[in-house]
Amino acid sequence: MNRFSHIAFLLAAGCLFAVGCGKTPSASYRLNMVEATKQRLTPEQERQVSTVLLAMFGTPDEPAVLPEFGLDEAKLRLASGPVRSDIVGRKNGLYREHCAHCHGVTGDGMGPTAAFLNPYPRDYRPGVFKFKSTERADKPTHADLLRILRNGIAGTSMPSFALLSDPQIDALAEYVKYLSIRGETELALMRAYFELDDEAQGVLPETREFLVDETLVPIAEKWKAASDAQIAVPDMPADIDMVASIAKGRELFYGDKANCVKCHGVTGLGDGQANDYDDWNKAIVEINKEIMGGLAKAGETSTSGMSAEEAAEHRKQVAWLGRFSDVIDGDALRPRTIPPRNLRTGVYRGGRRPLDLYYRIHAGINGAPMPAAKGTVPPEDIWHIVNYIRSLPYEFDGELGADRPMVARDRF
Amino acid sequence: MGSRLGGIFWSLIFLAVPILGVATFAIAPSYNVWLPKDVSEHGASIDGLFMFILVLTGVVFIVTEGLLFWFLWKYDASKAKGPATYIHGSHTLEVVWTIIPAAVLLFLAIYQMNTWADVKMRRPPMSPTVEVVARQFEWRLRYPGRDGMLGTRDDLFLTNDLHLPVDEDILIQLKSMDVLHSFFLPNFRIKQDAVPGMKIPVWFKAKETGQFDIVCAELCGWGHYKMKGRITIESRPDFERWLEETYARQEATQPAPEDVAGSAAD
Repeated sequence: MNRFSHIAFLLAAGCLFAVGCGKTPSASYRLNMVEATKQRLTPEQERQVSTVLLAMFGTPDEPAVLPEFGLDEAKLRLASGPVRSDIVGRKNGLYREHCAHCHGVTGDGMGPTAAFLNPYPRDYRPGVFKFKSTERADKPTHADLLRILRNGIAGTSMPSFALLSDPQIDALAEYVKYLSIRGETELALMRAYFELDDEAQGVLPETREFLVDETLVPIAEKWKAASDAQIAVPDMPADIDMVASIAKGRELFYGDKANCVKCHGVTGLGDGQANDYDDWNKAIVEINKEIMGGLAKAGETSTSGMSAEEAAEHRKQVAWLGRFSDVIDGDALRPRTIPPRNLRTGVYRGGRRPLDLYYRIHAGINGAPMPAAKGTVPPEDIWHIVNYIRSLPYEFDGELGADRPMVARDRF
Repeated sequence: MGSRLGGIFWSLIFLAVPILGVATFAIAPSYNVWLPKDVSEHGASIDGLFMFILVLTGVVFIVTEGLLFWFLWKYDASKAKGPATYIHGSHTLEVVWTIIPAAVLLFLAIYQMNTWADVKMRRPPMSPTVEVVARQFEWRLRYPGRDGMLGTRDDLFLTNDLHLPVDEDILIQLKSMDVLHSFFLPNFRIKQDAVPGMKIPVWFKAKETGQFDIVCAELCGWGHYKMKGRITIESRPDFERWLEETYARQEATQPAPEDVAGSAAD
């Protein structure tokens, strides 16, 4: 008996030693499996993408920085890697301290806490950002990212990091750009296999010309160009008659051209068309449809009349659908609809300045169903809509009496 | 451990408890692990109560621990000359050591009432200076603006960076958007849970200007550690100027110089 207890003790101590004192495995980027499966990449091709990305972008602990990125290496070093203090006592690993548990080490918006949030954290990899001062299709400026980091996004789970120091916020914004450029490059590489001619035999050319000049540079250039793409905002007339402006804005809100009422509803409560998805969720919805449709069709198809070749092709297709379904289960969050904003709560995700609302209406919201009013609504009319929107949370104040103001005071 | 040594060893161990305990309190202030600097008006009475109770319990602690040591030392089995005597106990002694603590507790309960009322019941008759809404994982602030009323068009919205005037009654309306949080101002001796669905008033008066911490003192989720805020106490004119500047930024219709692309921040 005594001997057994000794052995048990030694075993327990051994386990503790093995588990407790082991070195933490270093963090690694996850491959975009949804896209890889969608593009029907072979395991060799997936490996090639991983290898190329490793060479171009490094690891989460050691980001590589090519001059073509247009990013500051010192800033990326401050933000990347495990949380630690460097030789002068400066906090390093800021991304993993503040961001990674929602946005994920890869920036895929799939960190451990992501599934519990609504809306889901942003997936940086498609390089699409919502709240910015540039035209719809353009990248956000560096200042736009800083603004979101400082103020957070009201109405979502993105908190404010207002008290982080300027260099820290700056480093995080730079790292978000880096992850985004990396994700976009990954997508571009995976899609490039489809364009290969037969000679290539399913292998991407690993030349500087193809990888950097043709793939990376166009992506990085868009980020660099963002600062020149800022929307020029006409001044709101200083002597504007607010009452008239709000009335005009209301007319536009319900009118055919701006047609805000279609989604935001006749009440402005966001109760119009509410069954749409944003781009990130829509992609998964569409893939799900494809898988379900494909499997249903495969179930109805009889292989008896097929030639051997056709039957093999059929089996391959069914196997792919099954694999895709597994990938979606493991590598994507359950799609959620994006309801149009309730304009009476006084909560504005992209910022509450009149300027922010002007940007939203002018350029729409990239990645979301909100369309751009640019082109259909003249700039001065956009200001009228802004004024009307800003009056909505307080619209009934006067009618109900000052001692009983509505909505914005009593609700969250 | 031999039985001869055993009694001495254990009695010395128990003697070390009061000695180290008292030493810890004695050196704590010089290692900066004592109460943080108090800059609130009501803080002194809370700290006074704390010190009073600490001294009271400290004396009882030392006496009890001393007795514990003495009994261990005196009735060490290895030094015992004969068999132990069993006694029934002393009724009078038990009554005495029940009544004295009861009286002390009753005294404390009555003695602290005034302080409790100052902090939790005698709310200054005013509308809120600012509304603080706790949320995973930030403090969202709302100032009533010029009209002094929350929920109107000129409200000022901010996060984490709370500014307040010095030497004035401050009334904070505390809310929570999601789960339980606790609004903790160590330098103001304020700690109040924020409860979803409740508007809880919190008030104090700051004696000094400066910057102090706001922390969340209730484990509220994954990011509890990053739920930090900053409270800046400044003079009335500075506070007014800050309000105005911040409000102007909130009402901006053109990008601020630092937001214009191609500037230094870019």
